[in-house]
Amino acid sequence: MTWLAELRTAALVGTARHPAPPPPAELHVRPPEGLSGEESLLDQAALADAATRASRASTTLDPADLVEPAPPDEVPQASGEAARLLDLLLTQPPVGLELRSLLVADWLQLAGASGRRVPHRLLPSLLSLADTKPGVAKQLDPALGTRGRWLQALKAGGTEHPPPTTADWAELKSADATTELERLRRSDPATAREQLTAHWDTLGARERAAHLAAFATNLGADDEELLERALDDKAKSVRDVAAGLLDRLPASARAGRMADRLRPLLRVKGVLRKQFEIDLPPQPDAAALRDGIPPDPRTGEPDRLGRLDAVVRGAPLDVWTTTAGRSPAANVALLKGEKRVLETILTTAEHRADLEWVRALLEVRTDLRLLKILPPGEREETLTRHIRAGTANPFALAPPLRDMPRPWGPALADAVLEQISAKDGGQLAAMLADILPAALPPEAAGQARRLLEQSDDDAARRRVLRDAVQYQSFRQSLTEAFQ
Amino acid sequence: MCFMGRWSEERVINAAPDASSLAAARKLARPGPWSDTGSNDVLVWGKCQGSGKTPYQVSVDTVAPAYRCSCPSRKFPCKHALALLLLWSRGEAADAGTETAGFAQEWAAQRAERATVRERRQNDQPVDPAAQAKRLAERMALMDAGIDDFARWLTDLVRTGLASARRQPYSWWDGVAARLVDAQLPGLAEQVRAMGSDVHARTDWADHLLLRVGRWWAVTKAWRRRSTLAADELADLRVAVGWAVPTADVQGTEALHGPWLVLGAHRSDDGRLQQQRTWLRGPDGTVVVVLDFAAQSEALATPQLAGALLDATVARYPGSGQRRAMFTSPVDPLGMAASLGEGGNILQALEAESAAVAVSPWRDRHPVLLGGVRVCPDDHGWLRDSKGDALPLVDAPLDSLLALTGGHPVDLFGELEDGRVRPLSAVVGGAVVMP
Repeated sequence: MTWLAELRTAALVGTARHPAPPPPAELHVRPPEGLSGEESLLDQAALADAATRASRASTTLDPADLVEPAPPDEVPQASGEAARLLDLLLTQPPVGLELRSLLVADWLQLAGASGRRVPHRLLPSLLSLADTKPGVAKQLDPALGTRGRWLQALKAGGTEHPPPTTADWAELKSADATTELERLRRSDPATAREQLTAHWDTLGARERAAHLAAFATNLGADDEELLERALDDKAKSVRDVAAGLLDRLPASARAGRMADRLRPLLRVKGVLRKQFEIDLPPQPDAAALRDGIPPDPRTGEPDRLGRLDAVVRGAPLDVWTTTAGRSPAANVALLKGEKRVLETILTTAEHRADLEWVRALLEVRTDLRLLKILPPGEREETLTRHIRAGTANPFALAPPLRDMPRPWGPALADAVLEQISAKDGGQLAAMLADILPAALPPEAAGQARRLLEQSDDDAARRRVLRDAVQYQSFRQSLTEAFQ
Repeated sequence: MCFMGRWSEERVINAAPDASSLAAARKLARPGPWSDTGSNDVLVWGKCQGSGKTPYQVSVDTVAPAYRCSCPSRKFPCKHALALLLLWSRGEAADAGTETAGFAQEWAAQRAERATVRERRQNDQPVDPAAQAKRLAERMALMDAGIDDFARWLTDLVRTGLASARRQPYSWWDGVAARLVDAQLPGLAEQVRAMGSDVHARTDWADHLLLRVGRWWAVTKAWRRRSTLAADELADLRVAVGWAVPTADVQGTEALHGPWLVLGAHRSDDGRLQQQRTWLRGPDGTVVVVLDFAAQSEALATPQLAGALLDATVARYPGSGQRRAMFTSPVDPLGMAASLGEGGNILQALEAESAAVAVSPWRDRHPVLLGGVRVCPDDHGWLRDSKGDALPLVDAPLDSLLALTGGHPVDLFGELEDGRVRPLSAVVGGAVVMP
């Protein structure tokens, strides 16, 4: 035991139970005579203190532990007012926390667009904000710069798993294999199909179903062969997935078979031919069962309406137009009384992105699923029209409004502001509180300010409008700072 | 008169007592509620319409920072003063040229009068050598008794063992510290109080306590032999026990001229006292540290930016090594330096510490300027020089250091304390920055 260790032991238990060690001979210490045990220990502690501090050594780090220094930043940093505004937003935000995130995201976007990057000293607070705010994290590139990405990688500390490679796809765990297949479907649907086809027979039922479901992305006529094969699968879960995917292919053989089943069920009746009469499908035969029409249940009555739904979903929509000899819009009018059938047609039109039917259905419904199908410009126009018509309640309006790309066009912004400032618009205001500031275009700032100035007791509405006004004016400063 | 000029917004932000005051001030920092604003070389003033009928009268002395506001806030400076300074710093209000408002003039006059009265009282007071000697003798007796008491406590401590001391509640340490304060030994009291939490907070508490007990014991021995010590050694001992040297005794002793380079600054707040250390280097390489203290409710002196060159004269307190100093003239910023000069490596820094300990065993904080060190992000962070030697960092904002340096070698100034470096400034891209 070294002298220091002995000294520590004696000090810990106390000299009453453990005598102080003799002073270290190698330091040539000659203590005075007649010291008590305590005095000797204290003297040696003082010696140890001075010796420790006078002989401190450095540590040697393993060079392998050193981080690779950051490569140089090619892009100049944002300076002046732009840098000051980001500093302000990160360290002393003059706006609410939600607005702050929006504005930081805007800052990053503007910086990226004008070829500037975040000053190095602001990176730590920016990255910790991005940790909790996905809206900020999404905009980090490219304004983050080389140093920022380097710091990000350093903070992640190598915990990232390397992305699985496609070479050994068959050896991936099933969840990872599905993820990989989904990725591949996005970039190269044909290869994904070949891969799954090649391994089809070696996979379990659950894997077959999960992997096949990935084909919803970039589904096309080329996938039909595999889907037909899956209709014969022994697992119901796989057959259901295949049927659901084939529902989206109106030109497929199965759609033709469904059309043959639907046609005899439809008749236009009445002198003015103003109504559809729709029969329920008959008992399914083997071919119908294979196509996914529900069989008789073991007990109780068969779900005949469910069978009709399956036929409607599977058949091409032009079965309706040719039977009635009229346009989709006229068909929708004919089906006014048939709520359930109309709902099924709506799902079908959405799955197939059938624009003509979607437009026809939007005449009678305000539905997010349908709006999403429309091209952006038309989508905004249609939604504006729906708001102006004033038929939809705020609960139906909020989801499609939240889903619109931001910022909105002036017409939509105008319609929404009008709706919000109406007598009972406070509810819609509250439901849009977090997105409205960034959704309103600069043109709408004046109107928002005017509405805010009108006296109003609805606190939620006031807050939303105030946020919108604050956001617009701060954003204006950001735009100017980057000019 | 020295003209300090308009404050920067950063300087105003630094004057704020807390974040909420600043946030409140930002809301007020618009021309709307303000009237009768103005400024001259020394004062900034204005009236701010609050919720009440009469507007609050706000005056700020921007040279020797002092604040006055008729609002009832106990924050210091209050949001009104901060808001006014923000407006003034941005050039949005309180432009110079108007006649000084009555209330600001009055306040400035009162302050000036109080200052002269205080000075006169100090200067006019007849020095009674007999009374002074008596007071000194009384203090010495008190301190001697306190040191004897402390030595007895240390003896008891090692007899019963450090392990049992660790089981004592914080109040036990606090009690010992209180006795030291009563005996006019506040420097020792502070160390004992810190130990009360260190024995639980530190994993190496046993070694830390053992070595610190040794140092305290050495203080008691040195105190009893103080008549044999050289003047510098005695001065160092006085600092260790906390026997302050009055500023009046330092003021006239010397006037070292600048320009002084601010190497770095550190602010701390232990909940009782705010402290600010500013390390300066003079033209001949002399390194000194300026200490500022303020109670919780008060504002610390405005911090100096690392890398700033200051035109000022300083006088040093007695002692050895890098001594404490005070400004004896107004401080004029001359500009910013592009570097801190040539730094040494880690082994040289440790050798310098070793030499400093040999001269003054009581000191445990040493300024170090390291050249070409890289920041390594393991644990709490490390500094590694080009030879491969490394020292751990302490109190380091690691993310900030990494963001600023990018892992490249930089010159770095810090305080070497207990074998660890507290980084205070670094030279990056031709400028001195604070992490």
